[in-house]
Amino acid sequence: MPRLRPSLFWQARREISPLAAQLLPACRDLESAANELRWIREHVQDTPSSVPPGLRVWNLVEKRGKGVPLQYVLGTQPFGNLEIQCRPGVLIPRPETEAYTLHLATLLSQSQHPPPHSLSILDLCTGTGCIPLLLLHALHASLPPTTALNIHGIDISPAAISLARANHHQHNPLPAPASPPLSPSHQRTLTFHQTSIFSPTLLSSLLPTLFPRSSSGLDLDLLVSNPPYISASDFARATARAVRNHEPRLALRYAARWGWCRPEDVFYARLLEIAAVLKPKRVLMEVGGMEQALRVVRMVGRFSSLLGGDGDGDGDGDGS
Amino acid sequence: MGVPELCAIPEARRYRLTACLQLQFPFILVLTFGPETTSPIKLPPALLERARKLTVEHDQLTTALQSDFDAKKAKRAGEISRIADALKQFEKAKSALSELQGLLESDDAEMRELARDDLEATNTQLADSSHNLSVALTPKHPFADMPCLLEIRPGPGGTEGRFFADTVFHMYKAYCANKGYRTRVVQYESSDSDGQTGSEGEIALQEAVLEVQEPGAYGLFRGEAGMHRVQRVPATEKSGRTHTSAVAVWVLPSFPENPTSESESDWDNPESDFYIDPTEVRSETMRARGAGGQHVNKTESAIRLTHIPTGTTVAIQESRSQQRNREYAWRLLRSRIAQQRREAREEVSRQLRSSVLANSQITRGDKIRTYQYQQDRCTDHRSGLDAHNLPDVLKGGETLGKVMESVQAWLVNKDIQALIADEEAAAAPKKESK
Repeated sequence: MPRLRPSLFWQARREISPLAAQLLPACRDLESAANELRWIREHVQDTPSSVPPGLRVWNLVEKRGKGVPLQYVLGTQPFGNLEIQCRPGVLIPRPETEAYTLHLATLLSQSQHPPPHSLSILDLCTGTGCIPLLLLHALHASLPPTTALNIHGIDISPAAISLARANHHQHNPLPAPASPPLSPSHQRTLTFHQTSIFSPTLLSSLLPTLFPRSSSGLDLDLLVSNPPYISASDFARATARAVRNHEPRLALRYAARWGWCRPEDVFYARLLEIAAVLKPKRVLMEVGGMEQALRVVRMVGRFSSLLGGDGDGDGDGDGS
Repeated sequence: MGVPELCAIPEARRYRLTACLQLQFPFILVLTFGPETTSPIKLPPALLERARKLTVEHDQLTTALQSDFDAKKAKRAGEISRIADALKQFEKAKSALSELQGLLESDDAEMRELARDDLEATNTQLADSSHNLSVALTPKHPFADMPCLLEIRPGPGGTEGRFFADTVFHMYKAYCANKGYRTRVVQYESSDSDGQTGSEGEIALQEAVLEVQEPGAYGLFRGEAGMHRVQRVPATEKSGRTHTSAVAVWVLPSFPENPTSESESDWDNPESDFYIDPTEVRSETMRARGAGGQHVNKTESAIRLTHIPTGTTVAIQESRSQQRNREYAWRLLRSRIAQQRREAREEVSRQLRSSVLANSQITRGDKIRTYQYQQDRCTDHRSGLDAHNLPDVLKGGETLGKVMESVQAWLVNKDIQALIADEEAAAAPKKESK
């Protein structure tokens, strides 16, 4: 990371505020320091507390200046029209994920005429639960009430699952349980389960209880996943310091080899294996850059016979 | 002797010679200042003809509505009812006047005396009603019922202009707060070039956008668009010289949050000024190059939209939420494009009108108002109103309200003149063809 010019600190102190100068080591430029300072102040204004606001701003700025991600400092990250809660130990939702989730929601609600009788979605490595929550919100608003929604999120981390449940509790578009229940065919549910996707019992016992069986596999419309995909060398060099030091490694990289593929691709092998058994109608996986995307596409080729002829792997490349 | 004095009065200030009394002194002039709101307007026959036609239509509609109700007809009847009312009053005043003139020629001296007494009152009544009629005939501005966006940017002139831009921003914000209008700050950006603050703690403003969410705010604020000039001794000035700088204010119609079925505000309707083809807009998220996704977690929520055919660019980084920034950016872009389209249309119709009116057309470049700190005065150059108590103006108090009202009265008068010119221009070729 290049050294910041001392004049930049002076400029921040003079033009914006001494607090902005304190944010500079984390923000790296004046504009984002000014923006983040404004957001911290707005956050303090919007959340009442007995601690004097000036002191709270100062505390938050100090924490952010030390490199803690702003989302952990403020405790939230906007995701679509939701404010997803963030806590240390759970990966912060990224704008790229937000973009493709919104796109996915539009595709799901517009592509089918007439609207389907039910939609079932499985999100693996769900983290904060942002993807299934945003899908639930968007589809709940855009699909006619006759369409049932059956959404499940799975993560290995207990911290992630409890946060995902807290987020679901906070952003529940569905009527409260006290109101008369809908008929079973029109229900819209979202549930989170804590388990490893490598668990041998996942395919044999958990998933068949979540989704009804169909002729070929399980009745699943969409399998979506944002698995850990950073390689060991990229983790050391290409990740931002705030990510490396403050976000959970569990959600970013997988260090052990598994069979024939690279450590960073292990999750895709397992995801495709799951897809081969469940035979979902669509698969969406986030990958870290073009090279990995190509490797995953080749991997889909190997699995295509198992997936049932046409390898319809929807790779979502982002990054470089 | 009196004439040179008259010439010394600034042009912008309109005056009327009410009486000229010749006593022992050669001249005593009594001058009335202020906008001529009740000056008798000669209604051209074309305009009267139109009013009569509309009144006939109104009467037909009312009789039709009595037998069976139709929402569309009722709306149209409501729109033209004030024209019909105004025309009735006008004709009443006119018949009263002709009656009086008949009495003036009568043989009875007492009768003539009475008629003369009434004549003046009837004359003012006629002037009032003809004014009312022309106001009623003036079409309402198509955006008048909408909320608006006030865009404030400093003109050339360095830091002083930027400080004053901040003052203007707070003036409008306070005015809305005093009036109870809901506002929202869409954009409030300070400039990076210096760190000083003005004498009253203003920051050096680069650009500010204030949304006034009150329906009809566009009608209230549309007179505020233009260059606002300030003359004062800046806080940064050491030797006490007065500086003149300028601040530009744009007033754009804002797309209301809950769209109604009105065609003007329906942005999905290609007929509307607010319609933008999404394929003509380039959307960019302003983020650094390099690895993304899980590799970084920068809070980059800024959005830039470019309307390719016109090159209009909008950049918003106010909120942490990219989606919200995108919504604001789209709304701002829609408003700017709608305003440009409207200005282009007005330009076309302006060219059709007489050159007299062309000078008073508001464009962005015109200096419309001066805030003079030393003389504690705020002058509007269009209505000619001089308001004292500048601090109250800058606090957005009642004085600012008065200034804005005077501009509205001026705008209405201007619209009437434009209407008359249009009607005459439309009538002229017809006569020639006959």
